[in-house]
Amino acid sequence: MNLLPTASAALMLFSALVQLVWLFRPGRPPEKASHWLLALSAALLATVITWRSMLIGFPALTGSYESLVFYAAFVCLICFAYRLQTRVPYSPGVQFGATIAAFALLAVANSPIAPQALLAPIPALRSGWLVAHVALSFVGESFLVCSFFASAAFLATRDEARRLRYDRIAYTAIAAGYPIFTVGALVFGAIWAENAWGSWWSWDPKETWALVTWLVYTAYLHLRLIRKRRDSLPSLLAVIGFLCALFTFFGVNYLLSGLHSYG
Amino acid sequence: MAAILRFLRSVRLAIILISVLTALSAVSTLIPQGREGAFYSGRYPEALSLVILGSGFDHFFSSPLFLGPALLLFVNLCACAVYRFVRELGKRGRKRFGPDLLHLGIALLCVGSVLSFAGRQTSYVELAVGESARLADGSDLSLDNFEFLKYADGRPRDWISTVSVTKGSETRLAAFAIRVNHPLKLGRFSIYQASHSTNRLLVLKDAIGPERLLSAGDRLQVEGKSFFLLQTDDGKGQASFLEQGAARASPLRLAIGDALGSMKLAGFKDVEVSGLQAVADPGFPIVLAALVLAAAGIALSLAQKIGDQTA
Repeated sequence: MNLLPTASAALMLFSALVQLVWLFRPGRPPEKASHWLLALSAALLATVITWRSMLIGFPALTGSYESLVFYAAFVCLICFAYRLQTRVPYSPGVQFGATIAAFALLAVANSPIAPQALLAPIPALRSGWLVAHVALSFVGESFLVCSFFASAAFLATRDEARRLRYDRIAYTAIAAGYPIFTVGALVFGAIWAENAWGSWWSWDPKETWALVTWLVYTAYLHLRLIRKRRDSLPSLLAVIGFLCALFTFFGVNYLLSGLHSYG
Repeated sequence: MAAILRFLRSVRLAIILISVLTALSAVSTLIPQGREGAFYSGRYPEALSLVILGSGFDHFFSSPLFLGPALLLFVNLCACAVYRFVRELGKRGRKRFGPDLLHLGIALLCVGSVLSFAGRQTSYVELAVGESARLADGSDLSLDNFEFLKYADGRPRDWISTVSVTKGSETRLAAFAIRVNHPLKLGRFSIYQASHSTNRLLVLKDAIGPERLLSAGDRLQVEGKSFFLLQTDDGKGQASFLEQGAARASPLRLAIGDALGSMKLAGFKDVEVSGLQAVADPGFPIVLAALVLAAAGIALSLAQKIGDQTA
C-alpha cells in the first residue's frame, strides 16, 4: 500500500511531461493521454485514503497527510474533468500548472512536515461534520488551484484574446469552488465547532485565515461585477486569494498556533 | 439623500470595506490577542506596543477598528439586498434571488453573531461519579458513570459521561451519554464533554465511622476545630491543612498515618473527574438559519448561472 502514493506521483510526473512536450508544440491538436494518467493517479490516491479509512474505522481525513493526499487527488480529478468538458476554454498551460500543483501537494504529503503515521482520530475529530468540513474545503480549494494558474497566466500575457480566455477559466473555477469552499470551510466548520465545543466561531488563526480567504474571493466576485474583464485587478485578487488559501493550510499549521493545531 | 443611499448600497463601498476587513484581520492573527498591556510593551518596541494598545489590535475582533467597518458593511449589505430585491421583483424576465438570499443570510449572520457575542453564557463544573451540580432551572445534573475509552496505542478514543437530570423527586432525564461531539440539549443550555482529569482525594478514618474523602478546598470539623485542606498531596505524600482557630489560622502538614484529632490520615484515592461545560447561546439558532440561507443563496446563484450558460 505504501507504493501507491509513489506510483501516483510517477503518473502525475509522466502526465506533466506529456503535457510539457505539447506545450512547446502549440500547432498540434491536444494530446489525449495526460488527463487519463491523472485520473488513474487520482484513483490510486482514493485507494490510499479508502485503505487508511478502513484501517482506522473512520474516514481518514483528519491528519495533514490524508488531507494533502485528498487535495492532490481532487486537483487531478478536476484536471481530468476540465480536459473532458467543452464549455470552458481549454488551456494546456492551466492544466500543466494544476498538475504540477497536485504533484507538489503529494510531495509535501510525503515529506517530514506531514507525519504519515496512521492514527485514529482524537475524540474532537470523530464527527461527520468534521469530515464534511475538511472534504468540501479541499474540494473547493482544488477549483481554486485552477483559478490561480488561469489568473497568473492572465497577468503574464498582454494578448487580449488570451486574457479573455484565462479570465473565463478563472471565473468559472472560482464560481464552482467558492460556494463549495463556503459551505465546507465556513458553514460545516461552524456547525462542527458548535457541536464539539459549544462555540461556533472562536477567532482562532485558522478560522480567521479561512475567513480572510473567503473575503478575498468575495471581493473578487464583486470586483468582477464592476470592472472590465480585461482589467488585471480581479486576476491579482484571485492570485492573492489562492496564496491566502495556502497560508490557511500551511502557514497557520506551522507558524501560528490555535484550536486547529492538529490539522 | 438619494446620493447617500446610492453610496451605502454601492458595490465599490462593499469592496473597500471587504478589503479593509481582510487586511486588518490578517494582521491581527500575527498579534497575540487578549493579553495584558505589559505583555505587548515587553514583546514589542515601545512605539509599536503603543500603536497596538491604542488602536485596539490587542483585542481586535471586539475593537472599533473591526466593529466600525463591519457595521458599515452590514448597512451596505442590507441596503444592497433591499435594493436588489425590489429591482428583481419589478423585472419582467428571469428573476435572480440567489444573491439576495446570500446577502440576507450574511446580514442575519451578523445579527446572530452580535446576539451570540452579547448573550452567550457558560459555566463549567467538574464532577466525580455520584456527584451532582445544580442547574440554572433548579434541577440537578448527576454524573452516574464516566468512561475514558482508549485506542490500543493508549491515545484517547472517547470520554463518556452518563448523566441523569432530576428535579425534586421527578426524574427528567435518565442515563444520557454526553460525549465529545454529542452534547446534551437541556432547555436553552447545551452541556458539553469539555475535559477529563484525575483528582487525588485524601482518605480519613476514625475508630468507628466510615471513611471520609476530602479534596483540596474542603473543610473538616473535628472536635470543635476547623481544618481547611489546602493541598491533598504535595508530591511527598503530605497533606497541607490550615487550622482555623479563634484568633488566627496556622498551617499544618500531615503525612499518611498521622492523626488529625480523633481521625487518622489513611491514604490517598485517585478518582476520575469529568469536566462538563454548560453553554447557552441565544445567537446560534439565528446563525444556523443564516448559514442555511446563505448556502441556499449560493446554490441558487450557481444553479441560475449554470442555467444561463446552458441556455
